[in-house]
Amino acid sequence: MEVDQMQRQYLDYTKPLFLEGFLDGQFLQLQQLQDENNPDFVAEVVSLFFEDSERLLNDLTFSLEQKSIDFKKIDAHVHQLKGSSSSIGAQRVKNCCIAFRNFCEEQNIDACLSCLQQVKQEYCHVKNKLETLIRLEQQIVAAGGSIPTMEFSF
Amino acid sequence: MCFPSKFPFAPVSIILLCSLSHIVRRFSASELSLNEVVALVAPMAPSRSGSDACRGGTPEFPAGLRVLVVDDDATTLRIIEQMSIRCRYRVTTCTEATVALNLLRERKGCFDVVLSDVHMPDMDGYKLLEHVGLEMDLPVIMMSGDSTTSAVMKGIRHGACDYLIKPVREEELRNIWQHVVRKIWNENKEHDNSGSMEDSDWNKRGNDDTEYTSSVADAAEVVKGPKKRSSLKEEDIELESDDPATSKKPRVVWSVELHQQFVSAVNQLGLDKAVPKRILELMNVPGLTRENVASHLQKFRLYLKRLSGVAQQQNGMLNAVPGTIESKLSATGRFDIQALAAAGHVPPETLAALHAELLGCPASNIMSTMDQATLLQASIGLKHSHAEHAVAYGQPLVKRPNIGTDFLPSVLTANDVSSGYGAWPSSNNTMGSVRPNNSVERVGTQNNNILMDILDHQQRQQPQQKQQQHHQQQQQLRQQPLIPDQSCSINVQPSCLVVPSQSSDTPQAVNSSASVNQNCSFGRNSIIDYSLLSQKSNNSVSASQFPSRDTKAQGVLYGYTTPSTCSMSSINGNFQHLQNSTLTFGAARPFPSPLPMSDRQDPYGFKSGDSFDQVCLRNIGFIGKGICIPNRFVQNEIDSSVSDFSQMKVHVDSSGNTLKEEPNFINMQKGSRPMVERYQSCDHSSVFTE
Repeated sequence: MEVDQMQRQYLDYTKPLFLEGFLDGQFLQLQQLQDENNPDFVAEVVSLFFEDSERLLNDLTFSLEQKSIDFKKIDAHVHQLKGSSSSIGAQRVKNCCIAFRNFCEEQNIDACLSCLQQVKQEYCHVKNKLETLIRLEQQIVAAGGSIPTMEFSF
Repeated sequence: MCFPSKFPFAPVSIILLCSLSHIVRRFSASELSLNEVVALVAPMAPSRSGSDACRGGTPEFPAGLRVLVVDDDATTLRIIEQMSIRCRYRVTTCTEATVALNLLRERKGCFDVVLSDVHMPDMDGYKLLEHVGLEMDLPVIMMSGDSTTSAVMKGIRHGACDYLIKPVREEELRNIWQHVVRKIWNENKEHDNSGSMEDSDWNKRGNDDTEYTSSVADAAEVVKGPKKRSSLKEEDIELESDDPATSKKPRVVWSVELHQQFVSAVNQLGLDKAVPKRILELMNVPGLTRENVASHLQKFRLYLKRLSGVAQQQNGMLNAVPGTIESKLSATGRFDIQALAAAGHVPPETLAALHAELLGCPASNIMSTMDQATLLQASIGLKHSHAEHAVAYGQPLVKRPNIGTDFLPSVLTANDVSSGYGAWPSSNNTMGSVRPNNSVERVGTQNNNILMDILDHQQRQQPQQKQQQHHQQQQQLRQQPLIPDQSCSINVQPSCLVVPSQSSDTPQAVNSSASVNQNCSFGRNSIIDYSLLSQKSNNSVSASQFPSRDTKAQGVLYGYTTPSTCSMSSINGNFQHLQNSTLTFGAARPFPSPLPMSDRQDPYGFKSGDSFDQVCLRNIGFIGKGICIPNRFVQNEIDSSVSDFSQMKVHVDSSGNTLKEEPNFINMQKGSRPMVERYQSCDHSSVFTE
């Protein structure tokens, strides 16, 4: 495949992610931060995000399984997940976290559990998308091309 | 969407920035194509001080800004780190607040700004914020995904310079340098407010070579303010030891002894003729520079002015604004100095005589507080002196007719004060100082017609705010003689020297000193008081605790007029106490600051949030009781740090009840400033510095 083909493929894949709300402008900022000095910046940050998120999700699952649920702790975890997902631009995950926190405040266990499920789902989705996206980017770079900048017309 | 990545700084702004030599010097050279900047910056390159290992090469502000980022979220941390690198900052990251604090402590002076997350597992971000503010006095910017108003408000309350909502964008990071700049300029401005710039300019030009290269100085010419201020600031403020923004200069602690030497030197020369060089020679203190003396002299002059200048000011000039104090101050240095110089060792009678001499009025015996208060009032009234002054006077007067008798003995202890407070009829509002216009009536519960008249008069004349502020500030009745120079005719007794006795347990001592009977204008007295107070001030007095450091304004003499009935002996005795303490302007300022009040024992029950009125009232109450606030004040004075000084200004106006100006309070309260630190250092200069 040629570079420009790859690039087109990349754009075709990435653009809908933004339009569908998987990713938001923050991700674009990350891409902007990547340069020749930091060629793997996006990949680096994304993998950090994956690590953090998985840890948090495990903690959340564990906490919600307890007999006596510590909502404060859960709220702290969710807050953290919300923070990291927002900093990477995983919009849907972030939105789920916001809802999750509200239920935490209400101490609604059932709602929290369902929220947790939702968050996990969204996380898995965005994880897949991001992994594919990065793979595509790396392909382009490996082929000697540059990652096209996402441009949105308003 | 495209994301521009060039520096948004215009050449002009760079020039401005460059004038902040201390900051600029630290920044590494950048290859940015702002030619003007480079041209400006280049000459500064050699001016790095070798001692500061953290300094980089040629700065190109804000490139090279040394940022410490603290966030437990690795993702966010990495992103912000990268953004900072993009902004050409020198960034250090940390995932734990405790580690960050240690880093800041170890490498003091190596950071310009701290970015911290709010929610962290090991330490709350606000706590870190407080610590940093207290220990390092760096600007701290909070970050959080929590964008609720209450969260942001909390950040502000804890002293955050800014609050960024996550996810943080690069554009926001590019702007954080403004907080560094602003902080420094504001600090410098405080100095400016406290005094004229002539001396500082003069100092600067003459002697600041060590701190600034000539090119930097030239660059600073473009923006005059910052340079002067920072220099002044460095010299005069006794703050925490490291100030990353300015080159380190050994700070001079104007201890009581040192100040006394200074005052006697000035006295010898005559205030009008006192020049730093000669003063320095006379003082003969090794290690003291002419600059130090010059800045101290400037402050001293301001202080004197404040004490005596009230009378000369029109009512209109009076206002609660800190600046007013300065305006009010008249140049009455000579006698002040003498008074001050003498204060330390002069028995009350002598002091009175001194006052008299200075003021040109015959020394009189100590009058009853009431009488004195009356006189004060009268003088104040006549003078239309600043309301503040009047207020101060009024307060004591009002309190009790029999104050005289129990005046001295009841100097106050914190309890007394509080009770005294209660004694005040309606102290809260009545005191002239407290409420500008109603206090007269109320104050006059004593049936002191004269007093009432005077108070009335004063009230009308005085700006309310000042009074209020004063009242509040002075939890203890500190009558401040302030002002009225021409009161000689009035027969106002000089306010008692409210010199807080050294021993915290002897508030009375304070009173006694205060009760120097001078017919002279209060201003003079206040000076003396001040010095006396300063002698005492050291903290042990619980009372002094009260005024807390925030009350810088306390420096103003308390021109406390004690009723003649005060027993001379007690006065003398107290006076002695006072004398022990060296004259230190700083020390004499124990004006209770609203903030500190809450921290310290608040005998009067002042809370940091207390309205000025209350403060005033309290003070008044004390006076009535013949309580000498001084202890508290003294304490504060000594402790008061620069920030207090600003308050002092306010106080002065209110005639003894130095109330901190509202703004000061706010500043204080924000807690970002370690007032405590200031206090520790008995910083006399703080008295003057604002």
